[in-house]
Amino acid sequence: MKKITDERLILRNLQNTRIAYVVQTIGILCILGYNFFQGGLEKMRENPLWLVLILTTVVYFYLSMSVSVEHERKIKNPMRSFLAGLIVLIIAVVAVGYLVSITPNFSSLNGLFLGAVLFICSFIPLYYVYRLRVKHAKELEEE
Amino acid sequence: MKNQVKLARVKVDLTQQQLADIVGITRQTVSLIEKGKYNPSLKLCLQICYAVNAKLDEIFWIEKEDFE
Repeated sequence: MKKITDERLILRNLQNTRIAYVVQTIGILCILGYNFFQGGLEKMRENPLWLVLILTTVVYFYLSMSVSVEHERKIKNPMRSFLAGLIVLIIAVVAVGYLVSITPNFSSLNGLFLGAVLFICSFIPLYYVYRLRVKHAKELEEE
Repeated sequence: MKNQVKLARVKVDLTQQQLADIVGITRQTVSLIEKGKYNPSLKLCLQICYAVNAKLDEIFWIEKEDFE
């Protein structure tokens, strides 16, 4: 097959891919919704499509972050935002960890574990946004 | 957007297909550009200009009052 060099067709192809993505997502949601009504949350999460949905959502979320950072009008100090986010995150993690550990049937180890998971899951996007902002600020400086 | 691609193409005696082949696009795209229904990228504009031996402002310039 010959490689498409026509920019209009390349653009159209991208738009088609977007439509296919929307249709696919609706399909996945329908199947998962059907599973949910059949056997509840457990049955829905057993379906490998659940993993696919979560994975694509996470990938989309990360890709969207690079758009959001460029969309920011006011240039923020990346380090200050990062530190502020980190402090809020640490407070939230400590609070959640403590609340879990004092909940009946949960040990302090559970609290520690949940806190660690929450910290890792929130720290990665926080750091990613920080790196994007630094990169963006550098690009603006170069101009 | 309105442009002078058709005029410039006819001047150098090229068919839509020939221009499309030189620039590496399809005939349909050339047709849409000439009708003003597709806005080419700056890169493609320049490629078209080179193909028809014209300057960018001769083909793709429109006056401010005609811009809308």
